[in-house]
Amino acid sequence: MVKRGPSGWLAWIVQRASALYMLAFLVAGLLWFLVDPPGSHPAWRARMAGAGTGIATAAFFAALLAHAWVGLRDVVLDYVRPRSLCGPVLAGLGLGLVAVAAWVLRILVTVRT
Amino acid sequence: MRLSIFRFDPDRDERPYMQDFEIELAPTDRMLLDVILRIRTLDDSLAVRKSCREGVCGSDAMNINGRNGLACVTPVAGLAEPVVLRPLPGFPVIRDLVVDMTRFFAQYDSIKPYLQNDEPPTGKERLQSPRDRARLDGLYECILCACCTSQCPSYWWNPEKFVGPAGLLQACRFIVDSRDRATAQRLDDLDDAYRLFRCRTIMNCTEVCPKGLAPSRAIEAIRSAMTRRPR
Repeated sequence: MVKRGPSGWLAWIVQRASALYMLAFLVAGLLWFLVDPPGSHPAWRARMAGAGTGIATAAFFAALLAHAWVGLRDVVLDYVRPRSLCGPVLAGLGLGLVAVAAWVLRILVTVRT
Repeated sequence: MRLSIFRFDPDRDERPYMQDFEIELAPTDRMLLDVILRIRTLDDSLAVRKSCREGVCGSDAMNINGRNGLACVTPVAGLAEPVVLRPLPGFPVIRDLVVDMTRFFAQYDSIKPYLQNDEPPTGKERLQSPRDRARLDGLYECILCACCTSQCPSYWWNPEKFVGPAGLLQACRFIVDSRDRATAQRLDDLDDAYRLFRCRTIMNCTEVCPKGLAPSRAIEAIRSAMTRRPR
């Protein structure tokens, strides 16, 4: 009956930690916009080109993708039958998230140049 | 009282069906099990498990008007009619209201529900402080009726891999026991994608427990113990 595999705790803690970071990022971002709104598109680009903003935004998307991976993995483990399909489906979803990560990275790098 | 009861005899019936009964309540019919047993005097083909008749053995767990419970401690007063009785959901039906609990007890067995301590006892018995003993309250009272596990959608989806709320409540009972020395192994055993972490905190288990226990809180305690353990 006992079957070992990847840590369930690690996925659980990543899901919660990423949710907390995303909440903090969104609240801080909204407050920043309310207190000091960028008046124009060049001002907005300049703000996003800052090192701190870039790192925080990249971390937000990393948290978003990690959160999405744990959630999608849960759905696959619960619903996809037969179980032999879980591996290929997870591989496909993983590749999709990697592609989204590359897309996000490209946008963030483009903003800084 | 009008009742609609799930019937299925695999030797006779091609498929399950609901059979209606109407019975005049006697003054002694206080609990639902009293009524079911009187129906059996009218139709002795109705299969149901029961033993203690006072909420201790957990044998007569069933789905009553959509919610799991023990027939012997469910008062007939206040039950919406017709009272719809079905076997525990998610468990294979043997006959009528009797289900196969083999997998449920296999999951219970998998958490090693006994004290593990190879140290020689200092006296006649292993002592606990009153505070350590109090940590077992809300955990040791489980009667393994399976009301919680059978009402858990995560268990319906992965009955062969997810331990289920009853088994996890029992696991927590030994994890927090100050006399047990296998805490690390117990936590390791539960740390995969299925055994503990299929719980989605739906909390049906806590909602339906006829003993008023909170398996969802026990599951949270195990997760907390995993987070606190040294790595």
